[in-house]
Amino acid sequence: MTNHVSRRSFLKSAAGTTALVLSISSTPSVLATDTDNSGNVTPCLRFTEDGQIFVCVPIPDMGQGMITTAAQIIAEELDLDPNQTSIEMMAFQGHADAEGRASEGPMPQGAGGSLSTMMVWGPLRHTAAYARDLFLHAAAIRWSVPLNHLETRNGAVYNKNTKVSLPYKYLVSDTRRADYTVLRGNTTPKAAKDRTLIGRDQRNVHALAIATGQPIFGIDSDIPDMKHAVIRRCPHLNGSLVSYDRDALLALPGVKHVIEIARRPDDLSRPRILPAGLAIIADSFWQAKKAADMAEIEWDGSRAAGESSAALKARMAEHLETGEVADSKEGGDLAKAMAEADKVIEATYYHPHWAHACMEPHNCIADVKADSAEIWTSHQSITESINAAAAATDLPISKITSNVMRCGTGLGRKYAPDFVMEACILSKAIGAPVKVTWTREDEMEQDHVNPSAMYRMRAAVDAKGRLTGWHVRTAADGWIRNAAMEPPMGLVDNYRGEWGYIENNVRRGPWRGPQHNTAAWVIQGFLNEVAIAAGKDPLDFLLDLYSRKDFQKLDTWPFPLLEYERFRKILKAVAKDARYGRRMPDGWGQGIAIYHTFSGTCAHVVEIEMIGDTDYRVHKVTSAIDCGLAVNPLGVRAQVEGGINDGLSAAKYGNFRFEDGVPVTNNFDSYQMMRIGEAPPEINVRIMDFGDEDPRGTGEVALPPLIPALTNAIFAASGKRVRTLPISENL
Amino acid sequence: MTTVTFKINGKAASFSGDGDMPLLWHLREDAGLKGTKFGCGIGQCGACTVHINGEAARSCSVPMAALDGTSITTIEGLADGERLHAVQEAWIKEDVAQCGYCQAGQIMAAAAFLKDNPNPTDDDIDSGIDNLCRCGSYYRIRKAIKLAAQNLAGA
Repeated sequence: MTNHVSRRSFLKSAAGTTALVLSISSTPSVLATDTDNSGNVTPCLRFTEDGQIFVCVPIPDMGQGMITTAAQIIAEELDLDPNQTSIEMMAFQGHADAEGRASEGPMPQGAGGSLSTMMVWGPLRHTAAYARDLFLHAAAIRWSVPLNHLETRNGAVYNKNTKVSLPYKYLVSDTRRADYTVLRGNTTPKAAKDRTLIGRDQRNVHALAIATGQPIFGIDSDIPDMKHAVIRRCPHLNGSLVSYDRDALLALPGVKHVIEIARRPDDLSRPRILPAGLAIIADSFWQAKKAADMAEIEWDGSRAAGESSAALKARMAEHLETGEVADSKEGGDLAKAMAEADKVIEATYYHPHWAHACMEPHNCIADVKADSAEIWTSHQSITESINAAAAATDLPISKITSNVMRCGTGLGRKYAPDFVMEACILSKAIGAPVKVTWTREDEMEQDHVNPSAMYRMRAAVDAKGRLTGWHVRTAADGWIRNAAMEPPMGLVDNYRGEWGYIENNVRRGPWRGPQHNTAAWVIQGFLNEVAIAAGKDPLDFLLDLYSRKDFQKLDTWPFPLLEYERFRKILKAVAKDARYGRRMPDGWGQGIAIYHTFSGTCAHVVEIEMIGDTDYRVHKVTSAIDCGLAVNPLGVRAQVEGGINDGLSAAKYGNFRFEDGVPVTNNFDSYQMMRIGEAPPEINVRIMDFGDEDPRGTGEVALPPLIPALTNAIFAASGKRVRTLPISENL
Repeated sequence: MTTVTFKINGKAASFSGDGDMPLLWHLREDAGLKGTKFGCGIGQCGACTVHINGEAARSCSVPMAALDGTSITTIEGLADGERLHAVQEAWIKEDVAQCGYCQAGQIMAAAAFLKDNPNPTDDDIDSGIDNLCRCGSYYRIRKAIKLAAQNLAGA
């Protein structure tokens, strides 16, 4: 890349002060679109002469800690207090692809796959290191001293000889004189031994704002002259609007517009992107909500009529017997292994759909004009929010501005376009800004739930109690093949994984730890059964399994290379920390499980006490996570603790139900979730140190192995094997 | 048309309008106090918890018509000027918040709870707090409640 001056941009504000603005670089020598003096910039870092330092965060924060991690990484290189930076979300910095869709720029700008920290780790460090070197060079020129007399400390350049320091703000203008051509490609982030922030606990930089109720979430946004929309959406899993009384609705207090929203796509045989709906637009949310509740609407729900959770489960059972399955994976001679086995163990597992129940109901403000549109929303992906607005307005993406705010959880659901599209459609229709706020009922009824599946599991063990064959046959209503493709396949030589797809009208989508969240339970739960049937201690059985190979490259996304020496060390560490295998009182039990999710691996030991025959109390969870370099250990532990509690809740209660084609679980009265009273009072998390120089995934890694560790503990405590979720209905 | 007068965060306020409207929407849309959050609308999740006459209440389920003569405290009014409430301080110290959306309600619930339970046991917390957190920050919420109790006792 050729060098040019606009690598840095100096912005003259109306007050005549100068700001140093740096665009983000994905490598030290390659920068994103350069800035110009028009203010049309996509900055990563901005320094003003009045001492403000703006950190622009590339990926939305939905609780995974991206904002804090970004501030921490930048503060490390610049020797700043992270709390002294001002946080902004980075504007979209990608471009239109050949079809005109928003495509990622130097880095993805959506949160998913537990990738956020991994994605920003390099570019943010290199960009901040570049800024630091600019200040050092500027000071060297100003003071006419050699660079090696200078260092950065506490937000200032410090002269080691004279003991004089100069805060960055006084050097903003001087950085123009720095020889950035020498710096280009020659800036180096700090070595690990020199770090003072990365690898140490960093509290949430939004903690004060959150604890004092500052308006930082998407739903807190307001813009002048906006109207409020509440939308009655087709309650049937698939259907369309037939009739309603427009005049009666328009006569209600505050109601200004009644607008029909067509289902997208209009072909009912394809999964819905946007449900059919009727929007009530009023001066206030409450007026719109009250009118929407009173609306008498006739829907055509015939397409999904008769579909129910119970019927779907029955179809899965039938499909396992006689349905069409595709071989996902096969190796060795499974039939021979089964024939020669000392024991063959069989079991059937089933899990229902889970709702996301995002804490912040979906919302979006859109201000659509003839030739441009602007949105304010809580969305997991800046890029996809722009695509949603473009799809709804037919505007080119270059004419769309997306302001993505802090998200009150995302959990996979806030990646979808529907709530952004609705706001854009309505704003375009009435020619004024519109805020769409979903109710909790909307959020659950229109959820894209975690897929449901049933599994026929079969294992062969030899006379020594070693696993010799593994067979998984899956009937699922989603693209969830991991259980039929992942280890122990490959650790045992003889295996087969089969997967059959069952179509229906429930909308499925990603849910924290997609695929892994249930594959881990099925695999690690069944391995526990097999170990016990083979007369082995479950921990010894797992250690034997993971001793058969040192490495295994998986053919499931993101195609990680599993390092089994790490698995063994993680298991031994968590067992030691939990004093696994110690004698427990009657009615108490410990369960252990391990699983890789995306690029991270986590193991838990869960300790429970039975309460009567059908309930239990989780007293303690001990965990060990391999997330590579832990940039913020306090944040990593938060994600593990959260994953544990999310897993406990989903396993015990998660059950999105529908009857006659209509969801019947639509708020927290009918869709139960765990509260503090059932959460473990003791959680101990060990972060494994394997000497990694880079972070791996964290946010979704702890949840998947929690569920089998729990059901294995229930078995140890009660002798009852949970093979059907939710536990609350099946113990 | 309903007219009621009350106090919000110590200041006199009044409302004339639909008496069915829940307090939550008056706070968020009329009073500009966005810290109180909408979560479920049926009093189940507690994201909208405020204090009415010093007691925790779920503002999504309290109609404006019921508020005449009351004194309401929201998360914005919990601190004493610049001095944070002990529960807010404990929440920051224990780094409770992940996404943070439910935490204003959690803090308001905990602040009211500690008035009746100045030295809470785990059982007291289990039965006295039932606000939902979708990030699963319960472990740190429990620690923060205990820390706040200690600090309040020492104050």
